[in-house]
Amino acid sequence: SQQIQEDLNKQLFDNLVSFLRRSHSGFQEKTTEWTCRMKSREIPTAALLLGVNVTDHDLTFRSILEVLQNNVTPYIALLEAKDCPGIKNLMQKLMGQLMNCYIDEDLLEDKDCVQVSQTRLRCSMTSLINWYESVTKKTDSEAPRKKRTSSSRHWQSPPVVVVFKDMESFTTKVLQDFIVISSQHIHELPLVLIFGIATSPMIIHSLLPHSVSSLLCIELFQSLSSKEHLSTIIDKLLLTDQFPFKLGEKVLQVLINIFLYHDFSVQNFIKGFQLCIMEHFYSQPLSVLCCQLGDMKKRVNSLSHSQCENIRRLPSFRRYVENQASEKQIALLTTDSYVKEVTQKLLEDLHVYHENYVPVLRCLHVFMSSLPKYPMGKQIRELHCACLENQVWETEEYESSLQLARMLNKSDLVTMLQRCVEIFVSSSGKEFDKTVEKLKEFLTQFQKLEAEGVQEQDVSLSSQKELQKKTDLYHLQKTLLELKESRRSKKLTKFEMLRFEVVAYIDRLVRNYLVPADHKTLHEIVYFNTASVLREHMNAAPRIALHTALNNPYWYLKNQALKSDGRSISNKVPDICIAYKLHLECGRLINLVDWLEAFSTVVMAAEGPNADAASSDQVDDIIHARFIRAVSELELLGFIKPSKQKTDHVARLTWGGC
Amino acid sequence: LAKKTKDKNMSNLVEEYFEAHSSSKVLTSDRTLQKLRKRRLDQQTLRDLLKKAPLAYAAEIKELNQQHESLFSKWMLQLHLGFNIVLYGLGSKRDLLEKFRTSMLQDSVHLVVNGYFPSITVRSVLNSITEEVLDHIGTFRSPLDQLEFIIKRFKEDSSLELYVLIHNLDSQMLRGEKCQQILAQLSSLPSIYLIASIDHINAPLMWDQAKLSLYNWLWYETTTFSPYVEETSYENSLLVQQSGSLALSSVTHVLRSLTLNARGIFRLLARYQLENKDNPSYPGLSFQDFYQQCREAFLVNSDLTLRAQLTEFRDHKLIRTKRGTDGVEYLLIPVDDSTLTDFLEKEDEDV
Repeated sequence: SQQIQEDLNKQLFDNLVSFLRRSHSGFQEKTTEWTCRMKSREIPTAALLLGVNVTDHDLTFRSILEVLQNNVTPYIALLEAKDCPGIKNLMQKLMGQLMNCYIDEDLLEDKDCVQVSQTRLRCSMTSLINWYESVTKKTDSEAPRKKRTSSSRHWQSPPVVVVFKDMESFTTKVLQDFIVISSQHIHELPLVLIFGIATSPMIIHSLLPHSVSSLLCIELFQSLSSKEHLSTIIDKLLLTDQFPFKLGEKVLQVLINIFLYHDFSVQNFIKGFQLCIMEHFYSQPLSVLCCQLGDMKKRVNSLSHSQCENIRRLPSFRRYVENQASEKQIALLTTDSYVKEVTQKLLEDLHVYHENYVPVLRCLHVFMSSLPKYPMGKQIRELHCACLENQVWETEEYESSLQLARMLNKSDLVTMLQRCVEIFVSSSGKEFDKTVEKLKEFLTQFQKLEAEGVQEQDVSLSSQKELQKKTDLYHLQKTLLELKESRRSKKLTKFEMLRFEVVAYIDRLVRNYLVPADHKTLHEIVYFNTASVLREHMNAAPRIALHTALNNPYWYLKNQALKSDGRSISNKVPDICIAYKLHLECGRLINLVDWLEAFSTVVMAAEGPNADAASSDQVDDIIHARFIRAVSELELLGFIKPSKQKTDHVARLTWGGC
Repeated sequence: LAKKTKDKNMSNLVEEYFEAHSSSKVLTSDRTLQKLRKRRLDQQTLRDLLKKAPLAYAAEIKELNQQHESLFSKWMLQLHLGFNIVLYGLGSKRDLLEKFRTSMLQDSVHLVVNGYFPSITVRSVLNSITEEVLDHIGTFRSPLDQLEFIIKRFKEDSSLELYVLIHNLDSQMLRGEKCQQILAQLSSLPSIYLIASIDHINAPLMWDQAKLSLYNWLWYETTTFSPYVEETSYENSLLVQQSGSLALSSVTHVLRSLTLNARGIFRLLARYQLENKDNPSYPGLSFQDFYQQCREAFLVNSDLTLRAQLTEFRDHKLIRTKRGTDGVEYLLIPVDDSTLTDFLEKEDEDV
C-alpha cells in the first residue's frame, strides 16, 4: 500500500504544482513584461503583494525566477533576510549568486569558476560593476556561440534582477544602504528590485524613509489570494473522480478550519491531506481496494480470507447484509467468492456514484450561488460539506433556498440552465444524456415562452401604466386591490409553471445523486473520516495535554486509586501532580517553605498509617527530596521560575486554574 | 451553547490574569529556608534519597510506554514520507527516544543531541554532522556557511541518510531564534529525519510560520509520567546546593591545604564579617584595619605577606575586594552567613 500512497502523493503534488504554475503565470507575465520596459533614472522596483501565507511563497518565487531566467535575464539573485544580517553579507550573497547564475547559464570552463571563487573574497560594488561590464562585453563581442546563448534571447545589456524574498524581515538599515548604494551605480549596472511583501504596501514606506523610497520607482503587483488557491485546490483534488481517495466531511471540515482560522497556508492544507492519505492507507486494512476501477477487480479477486472477513466486519456492509434476503445473507456471510463478487459490484456502484456526484454538485452550486444571501453558502466547498454531512434536502437552508429559487426571474434561470448543460456535457458520467436532453428541452420551452412572454409583459406593463396614471389615493388603492385580486385568482402563467417544473427537477436530481457517502455501502474503503487523528497531529495543544496530565492523571494512568473529582487534592497522585495542585492555589509568588510544608502534609497523610516514628527523620528527608524533584520539574516545564523579589520565593508564570 | 461557555471561560481567564497581576503587593509569609534549620541537600544526596523513594504507579507507566512504543514503525514510515516528529506531554521522553533509537535505528546513521546539556550549542550539532557523518575536516567561518555545506552535500549524495534525535528541543541553549532557524533548515532536508521532544509549556512559541513549515511537524502526545532525571540534574534549583556558588565543603577543602597562619587570617575575617552581619551598610574590612588586626594576632609580619595571602584567597574565590567611595579596599567573603557560621563552628571544634 505504500507504493500506492507514494503514487498518490506524487499525483497530488504534480497537480498542485501545475496548478500553482498556472495561477501565477498571468501574474508573472505582467512582471516580466514590466521588467523589460524599465528605463529610468530610478531603480525600478516591483512590489509583489503575496499575502500572509509565507510558507507558500517559495513556489511562487521559484516559478518567477524560472520565467525571468528564460525570458529576460540570466542575472538573478534571490536574497533572504536570514542570510543578510549586514550589508557585507548581503553583497557577498548577491555576488555569489549572480556569478553562479551566470555560470549555470553558460556552462563556462573551470577557469572561470576559480576566478569566481577568488572574487568572492572581496565583494564591493565596484567589483560587481567590473564583473558586469566584463560579462556584458564578453557576451557582446565574443564568440557567436555565446551570443546565441545569452544575447539573442535577452538584449544587449540585460538587467540584473535582485529579489528580496521576505521584505518584512530585512533590517531597515541594510535595505536602505543597499538601495542608496545601488542607486549610485544604476547607470553602469541596470538593477531591478523585486520585493516580496506579505502584509501591505504600506510596509515599504514604514521601512524606508522618504529619501530612500524616492530612489525607487515602485509598481505594485497583486497575487491571487490564498482563499482562491484553496478553492481551486479543492476543486482539483476533491471534486474529481480521478483520485479514488476521498475525504470525509469531518476531516474536510477540520482541514478547512485550520486553513481559515489559523494560517491561510495552502502548503499546510496539502500536508494535512497527505497525512490523511497516509493514515488511511496505514490504518485501514481494506484500503488496498482504494484504487482505480481497473486495478480494483484484480485486487478484489486476490483477496485473502481474512480480508473478506474484514469486509464483512465493515458497518456499512453489515447494514447491506441485513437488508438482503435470508439465503443471500447466508451466502454473503459464508462464501468468500460471493462476497468478492458483491464487493466488486458495490465498488463499481460507488465509482458511478462519484462520477455522478460531482456534476450534480456543481449544478446545484450554480443554482445556489445565484440566490440572494447564499443560504447554502457561497463556495462550492461549503455545499460539498453540507452534502457529505447528511441528507442535504432535509436541512432548513436547502428548503429556504428552494423557496428562493422558485422566485427567480427568467434570464437568470436560462443562463443557469445553460451552464448546467455545459457541466453535464463535459462530465464523464453516462447517465446524464437524459438529463441533458431534459434540460435542453427546458431551454427550448423557455425560448418558446419568450414570444408569449412579450404579451404577458405587455399586460403587466399596461396595468403598471394605469397605476401611474391614477394619482389620487382612492383610485390607487382600488387598483392595487384589484391587481392583488387578479394575481391571486389568476392561474399560474406558463412561465411560472415551467419554473416550478425546473426547480422540482433539480430537486429530484439532488435527491437522487447527492446522497451522502455515509449511506453508501463500502464507503469506508475510500473515505477517510477520522478527524481526531488529524487534529491531534496537525493542531496539537501541548498545554492542554500537560494540564490534564497534571490535573487528572487518571486520564493516563488507569489506576482506580487515582480517580478523583478534580477539585480536592488527593494524596495518591504522583508527586508532581501534588506540587502542581498546591501551586495552583497560590498567587503570583510562592513561598517555598510553605509550599514544602503543604506538600509534606499531603504526602504524610498518604503514608500516615504505616509510617513509624523512629524513621521520621529519614522520611522527612525523602519527602524533601521528592519535593525538590517536583519543583525542579515544574521549573523545567515552565510553570514557575526563580524569583529575586523575595528570598526563597518562586514566581508563577501561569495564572488562574491552568 | 458551547461557544458561549467558551466565551465565558475566556473572560474568566482574562479576569484571572488581571487578578493575579493587579496588586504589586504580594501576600506571602516571610519564612525562609534558612529558618527551617535543615541542611541543604546537594546533588548527590538528592539522587541517593530519590533512589530510596519508590516510583509510584510503575505498572501503569510501563503500560503507557508500551502504548507509545507500538507507534515506532508508524513513526519510521512518517519520517520517510518527509514529516518530522515532535513529542510532547508530561514526563521525560528520554527513555522513549532511547528505546526508539535502539530498536529502530541500530543499523542506520543517527545523531543524538542532548538538548538539556547546558553547554550544547548549535555549532556542536553541526560540527558533529560535518565531522562524523560527512567526514569533513575543516572549519567554517559561520554556522550558516557550515549549514550551506551540509545542505549541498546532502543534496548531491542521495544515499546519505541521517536520523537526528533531539532531547528537549526547547532547552535553554537551543531555544534561540538563530538556533531554531538552522535546525529547521536542517530538518527540511529530505534525507535528514528529525525526531524531537519538547517539555516547556511555551515551547511552540519559538516557531513562526516559516519555521513550522520547514520543520513539517507531526505532533505526538507521549505522556510518560517518568521523572526528568537527566533533564533536571542540570536545572539549578533553588533548593539544591548550587555548585556555582561557594559551598561549605569547598571552603573547608581549600582551607585544609593552607598553613595555620593562613587559616587564622581567614577565620579573623570571617569572624569580623559575622559580627557585622546585622549592619546593612557594612562595607567589609578595610585592608589597613585587617593588616593591623593580623599583626596583633601575630599572623603576619609584613604588608607583603598579607597581600600574597589575600591573592591566594582571591584565586580560590574565597574573598572579594571592593573599592569603597574613599578609595580604600574593603574585603568581603562572598559566602552566605549561615555557611560561614557553620564553618566557624567546625573550625572551633577542630582547633
